[in-house]
Amino acid sequence: MSTATLNNPPITVNKAIDQERWERAVPVYGFPVVNGLFLGLVGMTLLAIVLTAYRELAGLGPVSGMNDAYGWGIWKTFNVMVLTGLGSGAFAIGIAAWVFRRKRLFPLMRMALLTSFLAYACGLLLLGIDAGRPWNFYWIVFPWKWNMHSPLAEVAICMSIYATIPLALENIPPVLERLWYFDSRLRPGVERVERGLHKFFPSIIAAAYLLPGMHQSSLGALMLLAGERVHPLWQSAWLPFLYLGAATFMSFGCVAGTTMWCCLAWKRAMDMEVLDEAARITAWLIFVWLGLRFLDILFRGAMHTAFQPDRYAGVFWLETWLIAYGGWLLHRSLRNHQRRIMFMGYALSSLGGMIYRFSPTTLAFRASPESLYFPSTIEILVALGFICMAVAGFLLVVKRFAILPAPLQEWHDMADYFRFRRPYIRWTGYFKYGHFGENESETDDSD
Amino acid sequence: MAITRRELIATMVKAGVPAAVTVSVGAEALHAENIPVPNAAVGLLYDASICIGCKACVAACAEANATPPDTRGDGLHQAPSDLNDLTRNIIKLYKPEDGSASSFAKRQCMHCLDPACAAGCPFEALHKDPESGIVSWTAEECIGCRYCTITCPYHVPRFQWQGFNPRVTKCELCSHRLAQGLRPGCTSVCPTGAVIFGPRTALLLEAKRRIKNNPGRYYQERVYGETDNGGTQALYLSRVPFEKLGLPELGPESVPARTLRWQRRFYQYFALPALFYAGLVQVIRKRLKGHEQEAHEREKQTGLRAQL
Repeated sequence: MSTATLNNPPITVNKAIDQERWERAVPVYGFPVVNGLFLGLVGMTLLAIVLTAYRELAGLGPVSGMNDAYGWGIWKTFNVMVLTGLGSGAFAIGIAAWVFRRKRLFPLMRMALLTSFLAYACGLLLLGIDAGRPWNFYWIVFPWKWNMHSPLAEVAICMSIYATIPLALENIPPVLERLWYFDSRLRPGVERVERGLHKFFPSIIAAAYLLPGMHQSSLGALMLLAGERVHPLWQSAWLPFLYLGAATFMSFGCVAGTTMWCCLAWKRAMDMEVLDEAARITAWLIFVWLGLRFLDILFRGAMHTAFQPDRYAGVFWLETWLIAYGGWLLHRSLRNHQRRIMFMGYALSSLGGMIYRFSPTTLAFRASPESLYFPSTIEILVALGFICMAVAGFLLVVKRFAILPAPLQEWHDMADYFRFRRPYIRWTGYFKYGHFGENESETDDSD
Repeated sequence: MAITRRELIATMVKAGVPAAVTVSVGAEALHAENIPVPNAAVGLLYDASICIGCKACVAACAEANATPPDTRGDGLHQAPSDLNDLTRNIIKLYKPEDGSASSFAKRQCMHCLDPACAAGCPFEALHKDPESGIVSWTAEECIGCRYCTITCPYHVPRFQWQGFNPRVTKCELCSHRLAQGLRPGCTSVCPTGAVIFGPRTALLLEAKRRIKNNPGRYYQERVYGETDNGGTQALYLSRVPFEKLGLPELGPESVPARTLRWQRRFYQYFALPALFYAGLVQVIRKRLKGHEQEAHEREKQTGLRAQL
């Protein structure tokens, strides 16, 4: 790419560039990072950190509702099992875009990568807090100590490798881009790093699809060993596969739903072409998944348990109805691009998927000494606190980095905004070097 | 460059042939898998029909393992309601409402031939000794995930909920006493011989002898643990159904062998994941080339730096 052509961008407005089409990730500008909500989230996070310190000293008993019957509480069953399922967007959308060539999904990619990273970070933190003897985690670096047939080892090892290496590396480009715009003197270095990164991208991205595929299914395999203790409506040899399937449509819902919400909150145009494509894929994923789920139950002969008047049947029909109705809403929203219905569809199907992933460990778990589990206040506050950390991280990152997709015009508007309205904010950089090579001479003079 | 149908099929074949080979090799290995009985497998034989419920074994167990007596119930007596972080061995009473036969039940680790706790343990903190077959726990490898409390079909391992350095408590067949030539605590005090210690084969013979000499005395005329859950090293005889003693009917296949069949097949030698990975790299390399080209075109069109 010669810089000469780029230094003189064509001024003519390209007719192909739609006013609504998402062309470019643009930071959310004009909104302060620190506001009431953000401070509240940070406060919750700090509280959770303090409570975590207390938990490390006092042990799990005094801080949680866990007991001998329910060895796992919401830290594992919600923050790890459910949230990493929601955060599989980088896996699901990535595979759809890169492997199955749904190219329209590319604008959602940065959102998917960011939400995945934050969800996994939250999940891994809670996995560490939940472990009774976390200092022994160092065995993770000695592969000969791994019990390769243990689903939990698979989850712990694979998840930490995935979040810290491929997923983190996939999230680097927005950071490099920010540096590139920040100061022209950084550009040669940034470009060198980018070239190096691009060279390894095929192997990084492939790892970023293989590893979640492995551990998201192993999360289901975890409950296989629990045998009869998981209600027959859920316990199945196909549990790993169904867990993986649930993660795909849940994460589509999480990424597309979050993007729609952000577009509403920050008054961004919505590209219905992209959203329709995502909704179409999600609806199909849901219908196929539901079909497999029912076939599995029918072939195992467990269908009659769904008609017994107990809480298991209630949970089963609730999650099935949520997923099915959500899928149907998504399908219906395609007809005339109804955003409200589409958002409802995403929300309901993701909620149903969340309940599905939550059930085998908790709602449909029949503890052998009859016992009840309800998370204690501290347990809930810690779980919530680290979710708040992820949300605060999200709000910070979308306002400082180019994550959220927008029409091309938004980029120029942003550059103008920083140029005219906030000239004193030097650190955004975007206004100064909004275009290739623009103001290049100015930088040389100023230093 | 877009991938053509021909290339896709070629790639699938290239990936599929070794995959098929791997799966079949893996399947072969899995069929060959039958659970070996350790050479010097030792165990317990508990005959519930002659247990008088004196709980001497409970006290002896705590003493042998240097555990303080669990007096948390009433602050006075060692009367735990179930196995817990201070109790490796417990006597429970099964007494049906309708007045039919009641029975005591001794609960401790079954020392399964294929233990589910060890199958799930991420860093093999719970492991089965290849010689004696005793399943024991080591503090150095345990991360405190409590997966063992979920996977054990007999619900034996218990986690210590208090304190910053929690431990997992379960019967380890007094392996420290065995090393000194002593018998496990519980068997050394039993007044009626309801629980005896010995090599598993000898115990099995003894159990079968009792069944033969007392026809109609024992439930189903069988020894629980001979084949149940793939075989256990703690063997049970009972007058009442085993389920009433807290021993579920699990069938002859062990829990890990039954439930992790596909998991194990898939991760056999890590061959299939490696194969998937190689295929993915190829596909993505192709896609990335096309994508970069498009990005550069967009770059020229908009005058803005491409965002990959």
